[in-house]
Amino acid sequence: MNNPLGKNFALLEAGRRLFYILLLSLAVGALFILLIKENPLRSYVALFRGAFRGKLNFGNTLANFTPLMLTALAFAVGAKGGAFNVGVEGEVFLGGLVAAYIGIHWTFLPKILHLAACFLGAMAAAALWALIPGLLKAYYRVSEVCSTILLNYVAYNITSYFVTGPMSAGVANAQSLPVADQVRLHQFLRPSSANVGIVVAALVTLATIWLLRKTTFGFKIRAIGTNPLHAEYVGINPKTMLVKAMVLSGVLGGIAGAVEILGVHGYYLDNFAAGVGFNGMLVSLIVKNNLILVPVMAFILGALKSGALGLQQATDVPKSIVDTITAIFIIVGTMEGLFQVSRKKRNKKSEA
Amino acid sequence: MSEYAFEMKDIVKDFGEVHAVKDGCFSLGKGEIHSLIGENGTGKSTMMKLLYGIYDLTSGEILIGGENPGKLTPKKSISLGIGMVHQEFMLVDELTVLENIILGFEPRNGLLIDFPQARKEVRRFIDQYGLDVQLDKRVNQISVGEAQRVEIIKVLMRGADTIILDEPTAVLTPQETEGLFRILRNIKADGKSIVFISHKLNEVMTISDRISVMRQGRHIGTVEKERTTKEDLATMMIGREVLMNIRTAETSPGEPVLRIEELWTSGEKEMSKIRGVSFEIRSGEILGVAGVDGNGQSELVEAITGLRPVERGSVFLEGRDISRLSPGKKRKAGLAHIPENRNTRGLNRSFSIMENLISSQLDERFSRHHIVDTAAADAYSADLAEAYDIRPRDPRMSTSSLSGGNAQKVVVAREVSVGSKVLIASQPTRGVDIGAIESIRNTLEDVKRRGAAILLVSADLEEILSLSDRIIVMHEGRITGELDKKSANETDLGILMMGGKRTYE
Repeated sequence: MNNPLGKNFALLEAGRRLFYILLLSLAVGALFILLIKENPLRSYVALFRGAFRGKLNFGNTLANFTPLMLTALAFAVGAKGGAFNVGVEGEVFLGGLVAAYIGIHWTFLPKILHLAACFLGAMAAAALWALIPGLLKAYYRVSEVCSTILLNYVAYNITSYFVTGPMSAGVANAQSLPVADQVRLHQFLRPSSANVGIVVAALVTLATIWLLRKTTFGFKIRAIGTNPLHAEYVGINPKTMLVKAMVLSGVLGGIAGAVEILGVHGYYLDNFAAGVGFNGMLVSLIVKNNLILVPVMAFILGALKSGALGLQQATDVPKSIVDTITAIFIIVGTMEGLFQVSRKKRNKKSEA
Repeated sequence: MSEYAFEMKDIVKDFGEVHAVKDGCFSLGKGEIHSLIGENGTGKSTMMKLLYGIYDLTSGEILIGGENPGKLTPKKSISLGIGMVHQEFMLVDELTVLENIILGFEPRNGLLIDFPQARKEVRRFIDQYGLDVQLDKRVNQISVGEAQRVEIIKVLMRGADTIILDEPTAVLTPQETEGLFRILRNIKADGKSIVFISHKLNEVMTISDRISVMRQGRHIGTVEKERTTKEDLATMMIGREVLMNIRTAETSPGEPVLRIEELWTSGEKEMSKIRGVSFEIRSGEILGVAGVDGNGQSELVEAITGLRPVERGSVFLEGRDISRLSPGKKRKAGLAHIPENRNTRGLNRSFSIMENLISSQLDERFSRHHIVDTAAADAYSADLAEAYDIRPRDPRMSTSSLSGGNAQKVVVAREVSVGSKVLIASQPTRGVDIGAIESIRNTLEDVKRRGAAILLVSADLEEILSLSDRIIVMHEGRITGELDKKSANETDLGILMMGGKRTYE
């Protein structure tokens, strides 16, 4: 793991694999495009232009990429600790809500403190939210998959209540009042919604990678995620570490929520994060929770999403073809995962 | 027709580098109950799995009914009248007993399963052999003994006239065992032949016509029951040769370091619950725990090391009650532990050698402001790799590809190098090569010389006898006897392991 050569080699392998998966998915996608009697090459050119050509398109790619990178990271951190956290979406909703609340009301704070309060509040709320399934799994063996799926609905309904009730701006849409200007994240590449949240996301990603690789905390999370029995035996408490991994996952989800609210919308918009948590999970699954490849894959998926609009406008290909490509991505990605598991099992057998 | 149901000659079976059976030989007369006995891992089950077609022969000859059947598969063996009741039952918990019995060859009535017909057929076997089962209960509601009878009916229904029972009494209470023996006698009276695998001498002497002994993959001998004794069998099973070159240390034990008082715990199985075990180990002393696998040794070790909750009783380390501390706190109190399973407990196979070596002292020794002190970790693991001859020598290598012996050396190095006052060593040399066995046993002797108290649990009696200063024997979660180094011998140990009393004294 820490061997520089070994690490780079493994990364190279994983990167190459990702490239093959991308090619294969595009190839299968091309078949579908042929089926509806369109030109795949022309379609892909349109897709590419839709993702990268012009300020608006490229900006939207970046704007899509930012929250995806964070939610994928949130899922991957949980997975490193052995938890399959489907609840990132709920964390994003609640984190966003708290960021919006503080952004609207705590205007007595100076700019920097106010901004920090928005983020810290979002992180705390989402962390507490992730604490629930963490504790349930660690101490009552409740499947975190079930509890987080269900908690997502609860989180959505809580935020929906606030934004239609106590926090409603009283306009036709279910949305809050705008946050104070001083906590808005600077936007660039207008009229896209790209914003400096991308810098926040990049720094957070680097910090998370460092945390997991270099610190004793990261060591322990990796230990319980790969072999909880061994971890328990050497004196690492798998239960508390699992809870901590979930909390860290929540913190990352909360940051994603805050970035979306303060960077993209400027107010809390009902259902603003629909699919963001889920897509982040897919990103992480495709790259098998490899933290270095998470940003790469998040970027690819972000580009596909924003390219889909261009594709639909320039050709008669529906943008759902992009969803098809994404789906194939996931199928191939997880298939490779299956191969890996069976190889591990074989090794174990021959060793015994 | 041959007078034998089957014969196996010059059997050799290798699993890669491991020679499971080196020189196997077994024949089953028609209408006979023939026991195959030996310690764990001596190739008994392997022999029968070869016959049943689960494994392929490396070399040797198998004749069934006097003829060479060619390559065997389970399907073919069944068609030749061989049936096997495995150690782990192969039943579907959610189905009823009747459904389980007919699963795979249901009598049909058009498209539907003809349950009345099935019930009638099964009844026939139940009545004929006294195989009492409740046909309409679901399998998860019946006892282990009853599940075993279901397995036997399944085998009989498929037309077996040679029945192999792989350690059938391991999971039974004494009363259930008696019941099983009645059934086996009924089956024998019907002219069918039975192979009975066991390592319980009492049972073997009760049920068998002939007894074959295996040791370390070899056929040692076959005797008529009438012409042998338990003592003879125990000696044949255990053997006498000591092959190791161990620098045994004569130390005079000091103060008691570890004291176990009236310890009770839950068990994986009924017979492996710990029921009121007490002993103490002094500094500079190795206490060996002998016993047939699954009689509570694993549970005892887990309870002492904090991996299994203690129900009642206490564990004292230098007078301090540590019974309810977490595994981590017990380590800090001075307990080291070589676990019986290096793949699940002992090592994290997806970590490097270095990460495995430092994992137990991460916070105490390899943390600088919560950052892993890689420089210290590298130096430390390079030293250990050298001192314990861990190959490959590169500690940054993953442990996933280490051989059994080198993997175990990593575990031993981590546990021993801390310098703890107590070392719990469970099956420290299981499944490792001769060279590693010798080095690990010498390490244990060094630890003893250093003045630590060692609890040595091993299924290998030769290991227990050559290393221990005192030996306790466990049977069904209790200590059935204690022997000291001078008076211990294989025969007495064998009898205590079977739950018996010493015959003299």
